[in-house]
Amino acid sequence: MFATVTSASILGAAGHRVTVEVHIGNGLPGFTMVGLPDENCREARDRVRAAILSSGLTWPDRRITVNLAPSRHRKTGTALDLAIAVGVLAANGDIPSTAMTGLGCVGELGLDGSVRPVPGIAPMVGVLGDLDAVVPARSIHEAQRAAGGRVRPVAHLGELVAVLTDSAPWPDHEMVVPEDSADPVADLADVHGQPVARRALEIAAAGSHHMLLVGPPGSGKTMLARRLPGLLPRLEREAAMAVTMIHSAAGVRLPPLGYVDLPPFRAPHHSSSNVALVGGGSHLLRPGEISLAHCGVLFLDELGEFAPSVLDALRQPLEEGVIHVARAQVHADLPARFQLVAATNPCPCGGGPPGACHCDESSRQRYLRRLSGPLMDRFDLRVAVHPPDVDQILTTQDSESSAVVAARVRDVRRISAARSGGTNAELSGASLDQHAPLTSAARAVLRSELERNRLTGRGLHRIRRVARTIADLDGDPEQVIDEIHVAEALSMRAHVHSRVPEIA
Amino acid sequence: MSTEPQAVSDPQIAELAVLAGLSGMGPRRLRLLLAHLEPENALQVLAHPEQMSEELAALYPVELRNRWATELQSCDLGHVANHCARLGIDAARFGSPKYPAMLLADPVPPAVVFWRGDLSLLSSRRVGIVGTRHPTRSGVATAGTLAQELAEAGVAVVSGLALGIDGAAHRGALSARGRAIAVVGNGPDRPYPRAHTQLWNQVCSEGVLISEWPPGVAPDAYRFPMRNRILAALSEVVVVVESRESGGSLSTVREALVRGVTVMAVPGSLHTRASSGTNQLLCDGAAPVTCTDDVLVALGLNSIRRSDGAHDPRPAVDELGGRILERCRVRPQTLDDLCQGLSITVGVAALALARLERDGWVGETDGWFEVLGAWAGADAYLTPSSSEAIPYGP
Repeated sequence: MFATVTSASILGAAGHRVTVEVHIGNGLPGFTMVGLPDENCREARDRVRAAILSSGLTWPDRRITVNLAPSRHRKTGTALDLAIAVGVLAANGDIPSTAMTGLGCVGELGLDGSVRPVPGIAPMVGVLGDLDAVVPARSIHEAQRAAGGRVRPVAHLGELVAVLTDSAPWPDHEMVVPEDSADPVADLADVHGQPVARRALEIAAAGSHHMLLVGPPGSGKTMLARRLPGLLPRLEREAAMAVTMIHSAAGVRLPPLGYVDLPPFRAPHHSSSNVALVGGGSHLLRPGEISLAHCGVLFLDELGEFAPSVLDALRQPLEEGVIHVARAQVHADLPARFQLVAATNPCPCGGGPPGACHCDESSRQRYLRRLSGPLMDRFDLRVAVHPPDVDQILTTQDSESSAVVAARVRDVRRISAARSGGTNAELSGASLDQHAPLTSAARAVLRSELERNRLTGRGLHRIRRVARTIADLDGDPEQVIDEIHVAEALSMRAHVHSRVPEIA
Repeated sequence: MSTEPQAVSDPQIAELAVLAGLSGMGPRRLRLLLAHLEPENALQVLAHPEQMSEELAALYPVELRNRWATELQSCDLGHVANHCARLGIDAARFGSPKYPAMLLADPVPPAVVFWRGDLSLLSSRRVGIVGTRHPTRSGVATAGTLAQELAEAGVAVVSGLALGIDGAAHRGALSARGRAIAVVGNGPDRPYPRAHTQLWNQVCSEGVLISEWPPGVAPDAYRFPMRNRILAALSEVVVVVESRESGGSLSTVREALVRGVTVMAVPGSLHTRASSGTNQLLCDGAAPVTCTDDVLVALGLNSIRRSDGAHDPRPAVDELGGRILERCRVRPQTLDDLCQGLSITVGVAALALARLERDGWVGETDGWFEVLGAWAGADAYLTPSSSEAIPYGP
């Protein structure tokens, strides 16, 4: 008359264990579900009933009460279907109640009894601990990475019931690796000319620096940004697992093996809402784009077109690597340690060589004012991108490929990790003197920039970090930052503000 | 009503200001009116259209006469007089002794001229310097230096106080001896463009600011071409520093040609849009300006000095710097251009450019590097003084 089944649901990017309790008693036939189910969850009643009947079993015409414990958390999604169905059958005596010990069930039911994949399999299986996880057959790859116990794929409710009642062996589902339908990562060999932008991309990858690309339309800003993930090293196990969890929870398509080990690249459109970008929603707390870009690249094209409130919301995660999303009932910490890459035109008309811009100063100011302020400060690299010459576009000669550049990036990452335990972008201001000492010539250049008010104190730290990466790339054994490294770092700090007040 | 004790207000200035400020009152209509009537009487007649003689009434459409009558009912002569006196605005009607002589023979002379500052500057030699509102860095430097050297030679510089070349010309002239003459297209009490407020006031106090529009008139687009004819008429030579294939400075050139004023142009690169108009002028026969002496010679004055061989205070450039300068001289270069053209790495190019920039050889705008002229501190014309600095920027 009473049965419990272990299952899980998703909050934010993390799974939570849920115990499904089913009681069948006398009274008017009916089905009540308590324990804060949301709309999707509540609809489980009709799916579960049809699935049980389709599997050749009987639906008890008695009073059925389902409780989702702990009852104070809101349960979302359809992943509890399978557990509810099994619970009803166990409470009705169709399945021996002891058969459920040591098992956790996650999956959505179809009306024909088929078990379907749901978003968030990885984090949900993860919280099942050492229980054996019963998962949809198609989610087997995703479940296996996260599972603490064994993974039991089932394709149909009938299969599961057969195992639990007749002690039939677990069905043997072939582990088919589906075709990888994702686009291959774009290669840097396609970029002709543009040595400065290529170099900036390499520096950004090597030091994990935030980068802003400033250039007229058609200068290849988006093309360049899309090639950044191909230069980044593969994710290490821990990071890959974290990214997989987030992507799974958000229902983003995972790679065929259910494991994200390439740095993600997310490019939300500028019409994206605040919630879409930082995560949230009234109670689901779905991870936003910045969390999906965790350990990868967040690319904001047409930076100036994003709503100012959306851009402001990026500041805290940029500092802390995590976003705290809180609602009246629930709150969650979503990881969001991403590398920010943004692109913008230098002015509304797109600019060009001196004398070509036909924007008046006020519209130019309006355009740039959106970009000014604290967000601008966070870009270590602000690169002016110019369209390549026609000759270079038409050349048949291949440029250096991503693989070659990625090898140099890996080396620098290794050097910086050995030196400070992180990337160069993460060097603290206090440790710069130790890890990025300056020659006197380099110091003189920086001093003159500061005296001419072309550099702020914060900008100075950023320049030194970038110069550190440049010196690492150049393979200087001395480990000292020289004038040339500082000059190069300074050349990649385009001034994004009014051109010159007078020329206007 | 309070009166300003120190300012003596001439009632006729206020009368002229009110008449010239009536809607639909252009220079021709006003000149016609003042040919018939004294300003004082004109006001009376216009305020009471039924008293107007038939001869006069035939000249103006009836709806215009009615509109003027309503406008005059709500106008306060004393207030206007005080306003003019406070700002030091003076006025002269066509034919009066103070009216600028060179405008008397003009095809479309202004009926009234308003000015702030010292109108006697008009008796010196005058050169108009005009150009685009979207200049290159070197265009600004050229305009500023040209104006400064002309002012040093005792020549007054006439320009329009617009953004870009105009502003640079005024700054250049003021930096020498304050011989700046500005001709504007709106009321002399309303600085426009706003970014030039301080420059406007400086011209009023150290030079002279001239307009055919009375105080309170807004900078409507149609007034600027009309302003250009006065600018041309007041200049003995008009120099176009940079201009696009069409634009306000070319309208000034047309007005100058109508009036037989010499037009000169500064040659520019074939690759910059800002020089397309001036290069076309040269094709059409305008005299080229390669240095200040060219302009002085056109005025019939002795040349002041040759800048050839003048001491250049900037440190000498190294071999790579020289090659970079050579490329920048042809046309503005990006860092990309230099890396590829000279087959050097980004770091080497950045270092060389940083040194050239520090020593004043090149200037950077939006990632483009341009050669700066040999004039020391040419950048001075770019930078307005602190209070005028960027109204919003960081």
